[in-house]
Amino acid sequence: MQKAILEARKQEYRPDTTDIANVVLFLAAFVGIWQLVSNIGIFPSVLMPTPAKVIETIARLVTDSSMTVGIGVTMWRLLAGFAMAVGIGGAVGLTMVKFQGFGKTMSSFAVGLLTFPSIAWVPFSILLIGFNDFGILFVVIMASVFSVMTSTYGSIRNVPPIYIRAAKNMGASGFALLRYVMIPAATPSLIMGIRQAWSFAWHALIGAEILITTLYGLGHVLHVGREFNDMSQIIAVMIAIFAIGLLVDRLVFMRLEEKVRARWGLNQHNE
Amino acid sequence: MAQIEQEYQGNVILELKEVSKTFPQVEKNSDPRRHGVLDRLNLRVREGEFVTIVGTSGCGKSTLLNIIAGLDAPDSGSISAKRDNKNTGKAERVVIFQEGALFPWLTVTDNVEFGLKIAGIPKELRKEIASNFIEMVSLTRFAGSYVYQLSGGMKQRVAIARALALDPQILLMDEPFAALDVQTREILHEQLLQIHKSTGKTILFVTHNINEAVQLGDRIILLSPHTRGIKREIVIDYPKPHDIDSPEISAIRRELLNELQEDFKFAKSHP
Ligand SMILES: Nc1ncnc2c1ncn2[C@@H]1O[C@H](COP(=O)(O)OP(=O)(O)O)[C@@H](O)[C@H]1O
Ligand SMILES: [Mg+2]
Repeated sequence: MQKAILEARKQEYRPDTTDIANVVLFLAAFVGIWQLVSNIGIFPSVLMPTPAKVIETIARLVTDSSMTVGIGVTMWRLLAGFAMAVGIGGAVGLTMVKFQGFGKTMSSFAVGLLTFPSIAWVPFSILLIGFNDFGILFVVIMASVFSVMTSTYGSIRNVPPIYIRAAKNMGASGFALLRYVMIPAATPSLIMGIRQAWSFAWHALIGAEILITTLYGLGHVLHVGREFNDMSQIIAVMIAIFAIGLLVDRLVFMRLEEKVRARWGLNQHNE
Repeated sequence: MAQIEQEYQGNVILELKEVSKTFPQVEKNSDPRRHGVLDRLNLRVREGEFVTIVGTSGCGKSTLLNIIAGLDAPDSGSISAKRDNKNTGKAERVVIFQEGALFPWLTVTDNVEFGLKIAGIPKELRKEIASNFIEMVSLTRFAGSYVYQLSGGMKQRVAIARALALDPQILLMDEPFAALDVQTREILHEQLLQIHKSTGKTILFVTHNINEAVQLGDRIILLSPHTRGIKREIVIDYPKPHDIDSPEISAIRRELLNELQEDFKFAKSHP
C-alpha cells in the first residue's frame, strides 16, 4: 500500500501533458490571428511584421549573436542582482525577527516600499551610480530586496509554535533553532516570497536596461530596435523576454514550490 | 496514602512542590486579575512509574505537562528531578504532543535523529540509535519516508521513537492518541506498554479518556478545575494492560466518571 502511495506521489511531478497541449494550442491560435492581422494590412507592414519576418529576425539576432549575448548579459545581471537582494533581504529579515522593535519599524517601511514602482529608482541610480552595470544592479536590488525582507520576516514569524516548542524541548536553541527549525519550517512561505521577488527583479531589470543604456542586454537590444524603428526586432526581443520569464517561473519556481508544498504536506487537498 | 508515601522513599524521580500557575485573562486585557489554573500542586513520581493524568478539558493538564517539561515556568513552587548525566540528548523530559509535532521537512530517520544532532552526537552513532528506536516502533520500512506519507498512528509512533532516542528520564505524553481511531489506539496502547516494560521509562500520560487512563496507568491522577490541582489519586495494582471490563477496574472507572461529571458541571457554572 505504501508503494502505491509513493507511486502516486511520483506521478504528481510528471509534466502535465494536457497543460502542454493547452499551451501549444494557445500559441497556434495566437500566431494564426497575428498572421491574419498582418495579411489584412490594417497596419503598415513595418509596424506589423508577419510571424515569419519575426522568426527571420530572431535567426539574424541569434547568428550575429546580439540576442545570445543580450540574453547572457541580462541573465547574469538578473542572477547577480537577485542573489544580492536575497542575501541582503534575508539578512535584514532575520535581524528584524531577532530585534522586535527594529522589526516592527522596518516592516512598515519595507511594506511601503513594496508598492514603490521600481522604475522610479532609475533617475536616482543614474545620478548616484551612473550609466553602468552597477546602476542597473542597484535598481534590480531595490526592486526585489524589500519583498525578500518582508517575506523572510513574515514567514519566520508565522512558523507554527508547536515546531518551536518541540525543538526547544529536544534541546534546540539559538542558531540551531533558526538553522534547523525556523528556516526549514518557513520554507514554503519563503519560496513564495522569493518567487515574487524574482518577478519584481525581472521587471525592474528590463526597465533599467532600456533606460540606463549600456552596450549589452536584452533591454538594450530592445532600445536599439526602437532607435532604428525596427518593429520586427522589438517583437523578437519581447518574445525572448516573455519566454525567459515564463520558463524560469515554471521550470524553477513553480516546480520548487510544488515540490516543497508536497513534502511539507500542504497539498492535502489532492488526496 | 501513608503507604504510598513510604513506598516512594528513595526512588522519586520527579517532585513538584506547591506549584502554582496563572494566566492573564484572555478576553479583558485590561483586567489585572489573572486566571488561576494550578494552585499549590504537589506531585511525586516514582522511577519507572506509568502515571496517567485525567481531567476535564481546560483544567490544566497541558499546563502541568508543559511546566514539567520546562516549556513554561510556574508562577511559584519548585520542580526537582533526579539528574541523570548519562543520557544521550540534551533533554531529560521530552514531550510527545497530540499533533505529533514531527518536522515535515525531514524523513522519519532525520526526525528521530533531530535531538541527537542538536546534542552533537556523531553521525554513525546517531544513525544507529535512530534505527534501533525506529525498529522498536516497527517502522523500519518507513525510515526514509516523509511525514506526509504516514498515517496518524505511524506519526505518533515516530514521535515516540524521536523522544526515546534522546534517552530522556521521563516521557511526557499530552493526549498523544486522542486523534486516532479506536483500533489504532488499541494497537498503540499495547506497543506503549511493551515499550514501558522494555525500557523502564517513567511516563506521564495526559488524557481526557477515562478508559485510556485506567487501562495504562499504574496510578491515575485526577486534575480538577475545582481544586486547581489534584483531586483524586488512584493506584491500580493489577497486571497490565488493565482489563477495563473486570469488576475492580470498572468500579474505578465509574468512580472517576462521577468525579469528572462533577467537575464538568463545576466548569460549566464557573466559566
Ligand atoms: N498561553 C495561555 N494563555 C492564556 N491562557 C491559557 C494559556 N494556556 C492555557 N490557558 C488556559 O489555562 C487553562 C488550562 O489550559 P490547558 O492546560 O491547556 O488545559 P487542558 O490541557 O487540561 O485541556 C485553560 O482555561 C486555558 O484557557
Ligand atoms: Mg490539553
